[in-house]
Amino acid sequence: MANFYKLVLNENMKIYRRARTWIMLSILAIVSILMPFVFFMAGSQENPSVWEVVLLTMTFTFFMNIIFASVIAADSVASEFSWGTIKLLLIRPWSRSKILLSKYISVILFGILSTLMMFGVTFLFANIWFTYDVGSTGLISSSWSAMSYTLMILGCKYVELILITTIAFMISTLFRSSTFAIVLSLVVLFSKDIFLLLLNPDKYVWMKYVIFTQMDLKGYIDSPVGPGGSTLAFSLIVLAIYYICFLVLTWVIFNKRDVAT
Amino acid sequence: MQEEPVVRLENVSKIISSKAIIDNLSLEISQGQVFGFLGPNGAGKTTTIRMMVGLISISKGDILICGKSIKNQFEEAIANVGAIVENPEMYKYLTGYQNLQHFARMMPGITKQRIQEVIALVGLDNRIHDKVKTYSLGMRQRLGVAQAILHNPKLLILDEPTNGLDPQGIRELRDYLRHLCRVEGTTVFVSSHLLSEMELMCDRVAIIQNGRLIDVRQLKNEDGVAVSAAEIAFDVDHPQQAAAILGVDRVENNLLIMRVSREEVADINARLVQAGIRVYGIREVTRSLEDQFLEMTGSEQIG
Repeated sequence: MANFYKLVLNENMKIYRRARTWIMLSILAIVSILMPFVFFMAGSQENPSVWEVVLLTMTFTFFMNIIFASVIAADSVASEFSWGTIKLLLIRPWSRSKILLSKYISVILFGILSTLMMFGVTFLFANIWFTYDVGSTGLISSSWSAMSYTLMILGCKYVELILITTIAFMISTLFRSSTFAIVLSLVVLFSKDIFLLLLNPDKYVWMKYVIFTQMDLKGYIDSPVGPGGSTLAFSLIVLAIYYICFLVLTWVIFNKRDVAT
Repeated sequence: MQEEPVVRLENVSKIISSKAIIDNLSLEISQGQVFGFLGPNGAGKTTTIRMMVGLISISKGDILICGKSIKNQFEEAIANVGAIVENPEMYKYLTGYQNLQHFARMMPGITKQRIQEVIALVGLDNRIHDKVKTYSLGMRQRLGVAQAILHNPKLLILDEPTNGLDPQGIRELRDYLRHLCRVEGTTVFVSSHLLSEMELMCDRVAIIQNGRLIDVRQLKNEDGVAVSAAEIAFDVDHPQQAAAILGVDRVENNLLIMRVSREEVADINARLVQAGIRVYGIREVTRSLEDQFLEMTGSEQIG
């Protein structure tokens, strides 16, 4: 048997040989340079520290990062169907599960790559224009060091990224439409805060079990009690259950699907 | 012990929303043949092919490829198969070579050398490093064939392979398939509704309609010589009298018609001449596959 690593290599080739991927990565890189630069130019008396700049910049760029990763995830399966290449892909000596896994891994790898690149660029340019030893602007909670606070926020956002891209990947497989997958995962991304406003989990207990409520783990950095009185462990379990259900559904449907026209 | 056929369809049915698209189809294809799968549009050719390569599930029955079930031993069974299902769709933003590399990676033991060999075989040397989006349909078809034969499959399945090819391309494909079949012992399964094409290309054909197998017939024998299914017409001066002598009674348009072999034709001629009947002409009544096909399927509607 040829080895599985080659399947991932194939999926990566299909991602990185497309101009679109490099355009998205370039946009991320450019914004990651521009934002610190804008802060630098606007430099008032209250000069932010390096970590504050990184945090401010990435709060914004991470949004774009999630959108771009969703685009890659949404296209991964759906485009094979719309191009018709799925027929050639599935008639190889590999089970459908393994082919789908190679696709999922390549999507996750893209998310890691784009996040690391974004962080690297932002951090580098923040260091050029800013220093560490400045008074706090109150952006970073005092109970943590600036670095660990920033990295924790990024970690929480990364969890969100994984969940959103998994949703995009699932919808892409279920409905074989990349447009639908992108739109729906963005709706989840943007509407979850509105959901929380309308249906306050403190008032509606069942909201504790809805993925929207638990997706944002940032609250736990400052307080041990999350939305609707849930704990960090509870939130993680809810998210894990959703995550596993999404994957199981994706795999089952992909394995069962009749590939016609 | 009888040799295991390369492909065996065992009472295969495909039922979609309680309608049998393929109805109890059984078929055996032995090694080294070019096997034609013939039927009008909507007869279920593509559906059958999709089941053979595991793209769609089999509702009833099973398909064995080299003795392995496509249902239960998919990875082992499909390893023997190379296929193009409908149009050869490739990754358009990749070059031809990258496309081949992509499929080569998915199969064990394909060397760079083998890739080059296949490229040369399908005649794409000059354009292989261009993006597929710049290819003509004919070139994509060639690339399609290239990806299908990369791993020297025992069974090559081509769905409507002559679609979009010009006459020269069709000819090349035909010669190439013959070569694969004779030299490498590959079994080729081609579907088409182009009858004249199938007649030239295939050793045996199966005809299906409305998901049912209507007929399987041998077109060429082991040595690739056409099997004569022709009837012979004798043009004589007194057909009725001649018919009486030979003990047959089929006379059409003053021609005596008989289904006989080549050797018998000479004997019959000798008998007629001896009996004092004047023979003006002896010729084959050629009924092409097309006529036979239309005869068999013509009356029924696609339903």
